[in-house]
Amino acid sequence: MKNIFKYLGVFIFVIGFNSCTEDNILNLSPINNISVDQSFKTPSLIQSSINGMYNAAAIGSYNSGTANGGRGYIWGAAFVQQGDNRGEDVVNTATFYQLTYTATYDPTTANNVYYWIDGYRLINRANLVIEGVTGAVKDGVITKEIGDNYIGQAKFLRAITHFELAVHFARPFNETSGATHLGIPYRDVGVDTQTEIDSEVQKKRNTVGEVYQKVIADLNDAESLITSNTLTYASKNAAIAFKTRVYLHMRDWAKVISEGKKLDGKYSLEANPGTPFLNSYSNKESIFSLLQAATLNPGVNAALASQYKRRTLVCISPIIWKDTDWLADDKRRFESASDPLAMVFTLSGRKYTNKYKDDVNNTDASPIIRYAEVVLNMAEAYARTDDAVNGLALLNNVRNRSLAAPATQAYTAFPNKTALVKAILKERRIEFLMEGRRWSDIHRLQKDDIAPIDGIPAKVANGNPAAALFTLGTPYTGPYGVAAIPGSDFRVLWPIPQDELNANPNMEQNPGWK
Amino acid sequence: MVGYGTQRKSDITSSISKIGGSDITGLVTPSFATQLAGRAAGVQITQQTGILGQAPRIRIRGIASVNSGTSPLIVIDGMPIYSGDVGGYADASGLGDLNPADIESYEVLKDGAATAIYGSRAANGVILITTKKGKKGTAKVSLNSVYGIANAVNTFDLLKTADFITISNEKRTNRGQAPWAIGNTYDTDWQAAVLNKNAGQMDHTLSISGGSDRTLYYISGGYATQDGIAKSNSMTRLNMKTSLEHKMLSWLTLGGGLTVSQTNYDGLNTGGNSLSGNIFNAMRQLPNTPIYNTNDPTGYNLSSNGQWVGQWDNTDPVGDNISNIAYVLDNNVLRSKIKRTLANIFVSADIIKGLNYRMQASVDNPNTTGFLYYNPVHGDGSGVNGRLQNRTDDLLRWNVQHILNYNKVFQAKHSLGVTAGAEFQKERNESFIAIGTGLLDKFYNQVLVSNAYEVQQSGGGATEIGLMSYIGRVNYNYDQKYFGQLSVRRDGISKLSPEQRWNNFVGYSVGWNIANESFMKDMKDVISQFKLRYSFSAVGNTEIGTYPYLGLAIASPYGTLNGIAFNQFGNDALTWETSNKTDFGIDAGLFNDKLNVTFDYFKNDIDNLVFEQPVAPSLGVPYNKINKNIGKSLSQGYEFGINYDVLSSGTMKWTVGANLTLIKNEIVTLPNNGADILFTNNILREGESMYALYGYNYWGVNPANGNPVYYKGDGTTLVQGNLANSVYYKFDPNNPTVLGEVSSLSAATDRSIIGNSQPKYFGGFTSKLEMNSFDLSFLVRFSGGNKIFNATRRDLLNQNLNNNSTEILGRWQSPTQVGDGVTPRLWASSNTFVNLTSAPITRFLEDGDFISLDNVSLGYSIPKSVIKNIGINSIRAYVQAQNFVMITKYKGLNPEMESTGVDLNGTPRAKIVSFGLNVNF
Repeated sequence: MKNIFKYLGVFIFVIGFNSCTEDNILNLSPINNISVDQSFKTPSLIQSSINGMYNAAAIGSYNSGTANGGRGYIWGAAFVQQGDNRGEDVVNTATFYQLTYTATYDPTTANNVYYWIDGYRLINRANLVIEGVTGAVKDGVITKEIGDNYIGQAKFLRAITHFELAVHFARPFNETSGATHLGIPYRDVGVDTQTEIDSEVQKKRNTVGEVYQKVIADLNDAESLITSNTLTYASKNAAIAFKTRVYLHMRDWAKVISEGKKLDGKYSLEANPGTPFLNSYSNKESIFSLLQAATLNPGVNAALASQYKRRTLVCISPIIWKDTDWLADDKRRFESASDPLAMVFTLSGRKYTNKYKDDVNNTDASPIIRYAEVVLNMAEAYARTDDAVNGLALLNNVRNRSLAAPATQAYTAFPNKTALVKAILKERRIEFLMEGRRWSDIHRLQKDDIAPIDGIPAKVANGNPAAALFTLGTPYTGPYGVAAIPGSDFRVLWPIPQDELNANPNMEQNPGWK
Repeated sequence: MVGYGTQRKSDITSSISKIGGSDITGLVTPSFATQLAGRAAGVQITQQTGILGQAPRIRIRGIASVNSGTSPLIVIDGMPIYSGDVGGYADASGLGDLNPADIESYEVLKDGAATAIYGSRAANGVILITTKKGKKGTAKVSLNSVYGIANAVNTFDLLKTADFITISNEKRTNRGQAPWAIGNTYDTDWQAAVLNKNAGQMDHTLSISGGSDRTLYYISGGYATQDGIAKSNSMTRLNMKTSLEHKMLSWLTLGGGLTVSQTNYDGLNTGGNSLSGNIFNAMRQLPNTPIYNTNDPTGYNLSSNGQWVGQWDNTDPVGDNISNIAYVLDNNVLRSKIKRTLANIFVSADIIKGLNYRMQASVDNPNTTGFLYYNPVHGDGSGVNGRLQNRTDDLLRWNVQHILNYNKVFQAKHSLGVTAGAEFQKERNESFIAIGTGLLDKFYNQVLVSNAYEVQQSGGGATEIGLMSYIGRVNYNYDQKYFGQLSVRRDGISKLSPEQRWNNFVGYSVGWNIANESFMKDMKDVISQFKLRYSFSAVGNTEIGTYPYLGLAIASPYGTLNGIAFNQFGNDALTWETSNKTDFGIDAGLFNDKLNVTFDYFKNDIDNLVFEQPVAPSLGVPYNKINKNIGKSLSQGYEFGINYDVLSSGTMKWTVGANLTLIKNEIVTLPNNGADILFTNNILREGESMYALYGYNYWGVNPANGNPVYYKGDGTTLVQGNLANSVYYKFDPNNPTVLGEVSSLSAATDRSIIGNSQPKYFGGFTSKLEMNSFDLSFLVRFSGGNKIFNATRRDLLNQNLNNNSTEILGRWQSPTQVGDGVTPRLWASSNTFVNLTSAPITRFLEDGDFISLDNVSLGYSIPKSVIKNIGINSIRAYVQAQNFVMITKYKGLNPEMESTGVDLNGTPRAKIVSFGLNVNF
């Protein structure tokens, strides 16, 4: 017995003193995290840092407090859902998008707050990539050619994200001549030191003109620097395509056309309008889409197929559904239980989009820009510059593939320029229904000379619309449970988040919001 | 018992509350911690819901930090244990593995002087737990058995079908829409689908203890099972404890203890905003729909697409498309199984007279396996065609202490005690998780079975934390009159940079026992003790994350491709968060210690608060924050404690006790030049109490049109939220029919602090009466001065196609039927506007004051003379009632079901009646 205790005593002493050194106990390094200084030290880590930038675009962080727990803010899902629900062509059936849909948001509402926060989170990652890659090229870790390809992609993401934020937080380009009105801060310095925080926070909101100018400059750089060509990464062509969108907002019709022409022969429209969605990663039409995987996607509370299909949180609005310009036998109304090319499905008499297919694993690519948009952007630019022939041809280019009988149903002529432009704009609502494009058009058509929209149009009441409201035949004429908001109303713009104003004395709130 | 040693109670000059294990024998609670509630001044312990396994909230003298941890250090027999959640998928409190019957006593160290010896970890106070040991004498066998039955303290008062149909359709017709609630075949009580009635509880402990001159032993085994108030929630605990000490030589003792336990929790989704959260779901279900439907292949009432609960005759799906909660609870599994080892060995040597060296090595190793199964057919798992997850959390902490204690009395009057020591502690916490979704079949619901799923994922990680400390303490008293103590601790921690990681924590205290002065000698019968004491110390808070000073990147895949990105902004100047604790106290013993009175004034000045300083989001810094030492807060208050032996004649003993704490806290300094820090419901603002409730002031309902009316930020201007178009217009009470000019309700300028979320006073009253063979004791507990934002009440007034509480019957109906003046006109599908769900509003703000009869116990001991002959020392049988009476004006289920002042859809707490038997052989 005594011996046992002796050995026990020795044992205690051994374990007691053996490992009790500062080196063992206090000099610990993270096991789960690489130091931020190491992120650009090897070619493989640099490639991963590029992916980390796309991760911010595809997933975001939202209010999860975790790195990969986001809801697809800004480019993975949210830009579709917010862009749709700010417009009148969908109906929010539950509570989910109610604040956006009814314009009852405020500077603390999660939707607009995280659009801003996750948007700038992505922008900072892009800026850090530009700086990290520049350093790595200088240190010889990677070649200049590889580095330029990465930098071009970072500039692309930086440009399109600033642009998207400007569309929600600032008035359109044509609000003032010279676009001298309030834009958003254009961030082009990677912030990872206190010094950078202190200097960057001094920068006030740029004017809208400056923002668009910088967007174009970054897209031009992206066009010249990017060499890779993959759908789920920014490409040279994606930069060109995006420029047609931006120039359309800037009303620089000639540039829309000249940029659009660069893509002639690079892409083509699929024969069936459902193909870009059925084969969202491999089709001739999609120009830039984000990768989503079963193992990482915006999740059950955000992924497009989850929200629009499985949970049926948003339906197509009778306003657009009953529009008689959208022919009853148009393929974009195609429903089928068995054919995956179906673009619409019905539940309890209500119509829902079927563009997003995988409502189990949420692996549909998030569509950001496809060739049909470039074509319609160009069509509109031609039409507005009095080239009705090209305008009509390109409009039909997109529309005819969806018609049951193009030979008899195709547009042949319009009485005037206004009618043609309006037809193109209507076609955009039909073609891009539930792809998040509606708000962008509402925004840029404020004070338009041909087809102006004043503020936010009236909408069908929040909630499940009655099945009878979807019967085709006559246009929808009401009731409108959500009243229109005039263009002069401050609610047309999203407010700058309160968190930004609290931490940034140089940030100015949008007029009317307080 | 004090930190790293023992002192006589009369020598102590710091604030320590002691609670004997016998005071709380036989209470049925999921963990020992809740049994301490109300028993000591300055100590608040709250079980926020009735969910078994949920860690209780423990606060000693209020909140001692804004951002960092606020739970006290829990030390069992010298070992600081894991006291938070220990992993798995069901709530699994680290305090739940200990058998309360094995506890000898608790000491709560509250002030700086008492806690300073714990240095960096002492900011939130320390609870020392001493477990039972063997005592010299013949073997004693003790059996304790308790059986109980638990029920919800309260349930919601929901609409029955008839009222539900009226209310639901009024929501619609007010808006010019067709009715949506149709059919009155059923009147279903959906709360019964999620709550158990008469949930069974039992707890058995058998122990043997004893000892010889040289060897002391204690062995116990325990078995407890509890069924939860919530369906699908239960706990089973098996544990065994042994303790052995052997005196090898006259000067040398070796010993150790080993506690092993296995605790299993079955849990459920209790998310306050989860569509399949038990209470969130049940309160929304439509009473005119059934739970079951024999025509559905599952047997449950599901919608045609199987995604949500069936709408039956109603025209619309149930609001928020919630699931059929009965199906979810019957099928989904969330489980935690904790295997825990808590062991220590020690050697104690009396080197010379008065000088003792003790070395103790301890280990705490909770190893938890979690299992989750979400059924593929319906509920949380249907979106991914079923989900299986297995995980393990292996937490390992070891602690080694070397302590020298020297005690000597010089010249009869000078008592000196010196403690010196070193402590080393390290932990490594590993987790591993495997996930399968897209299940082959719902058959696979027991464990993650290889290849039985379509998409597989895995994950995990590890963290390490180390702490090194050197300890010194000197205490001295002169003739039991004048007392002084000084303690110094030097701590180094792995969580800070090498330059910042070491810090010294100093504490001192002085005391004067006036009763021992010669001039008081004649009063000794009246005043046996009258001690004045003062203490001051600086202590730290280490609950600041694992590597808060480093700039870190985190794995951030793009789809299936590896990615990495910036995730934590580094600040290597980050240093210790320190608290300066001051305490002034009086301990008085009167009438031969029949009456004991304690008073304390305390002040806790916290400096260098480790704060997540907000950074402008447009800079894109991860989470828009940087860890900085900015910020100061202050809490202070008074504590009163009294114990009185009312009677102590031969057959009758009656002791009463009471305690009261008055406390307030204040934020002194915040970062960014004192800019407010906002949360959804709370605010941190300089000069205000921590986590005050922040929202809109509600005026009432416009009697002319039923619109909700709010105050603007100026406190006088009124605006009405016009239901028809969701726009705010000015409101004039003298001219209510007119919609004034267009206005707004601004999150920036119209919100204000509407209430203090922290209680300003709390306390308890105990009584224990023994009369012949009977004993009767009770505990009354009270708390108040805080406001609660009753968000549950707001949810119960939902404007979607959901059920409501009966409060909604007071809604505005017409200018002649204005209702209760508080509840606006109903307006379908417009809940965010009608009830302003973006922020707290005073409409749902209530007082949190309550008085609770926490427990009453009546016991009967069979007279010794009767049982002596059958070899039994004592038999006591008792009945107890817990949580049966609460006096409060609070309209929710229970005013303690709040977190930072917000009550949101919690599971009701339990009221328990139990019967117990204690036999000692």
